[in-house]
Amino acid sequence: MIATIGFTLTHFQAMTLFALLISIAFGFLSRRRTSDRVKYIIWSLFLFLLIGVGIGWAMYPFSR
Amino acid sequence: MAEETAAGITTDPITSQADFATTPVHQQGNEALAIAIGVAGWLVPGLGHALQKMWGRALGCFLTVGALVFLGVGMRGNVFNSDGGDAFGMLGYVADLGTGSFYFAARALETQGSDVAHAEGDYGTRFLAAAGVLNLLAALHAYEAARGRKA
Repeated sequence: MIATIGFTLTHFQAMTLFALLISIAFGFLSRRRTSDRVKYIIWSLFLFLLIGVGIGWAMYPFSR
Repeated sequence: MAEETAAGITTDPITSQADFATTPVHQQGNEALAIAIGVAGWLVPGLGHALQKMWGRALGCFLTVGALVFLGVGMRGNVFNSDGGDAFGMLGYVADLGTGSFYFAARALETQGSDVAHAEGDYGTRFLAAAGVLNLLAALHAYEAARGRKA
């Protein structure tokens, strides 16, 4: 019997989790050395969040 | 000094010797193996890299694709099926199917069905689609690595 799973996340939590997982995957696929991977993951995550929040702010005037 | 064989393949006896992987027979075998590795990587996320002993990438692919599917299902995202109806439904189905065997796990786990009326369900749908596309990318990477084009 498979137990029912369920998550309640805010928009920001969902976006951060998504960005983190995608950044990790990209880092592992595109870089070989561990230090390069860590740098890539941190930089990619930062840009994901920056652009996501930036687009959110840009859409704010049209949200009401 | 580079030499050209009868088959028109350039080899260097001093540095790289005869590169057997470039001869037609071996190339055909490599291509079939590379396709098999790509398909394996699609069916089980990370398997394509694991077969080539790229353990870090294999683990990374398996865990990230698995986490995206698990979270997508937990957020009650839409797991598309083949009778989606419109073009977007079919696109969603193709994207979801990109997770390979995890697609069936997602269908089995989502016992309550999708709930895209709420933002979480909508996010979940994106998580599932992203997992599929990411796994296809990883499978393509494994295929390319098996062909020796990049790693």
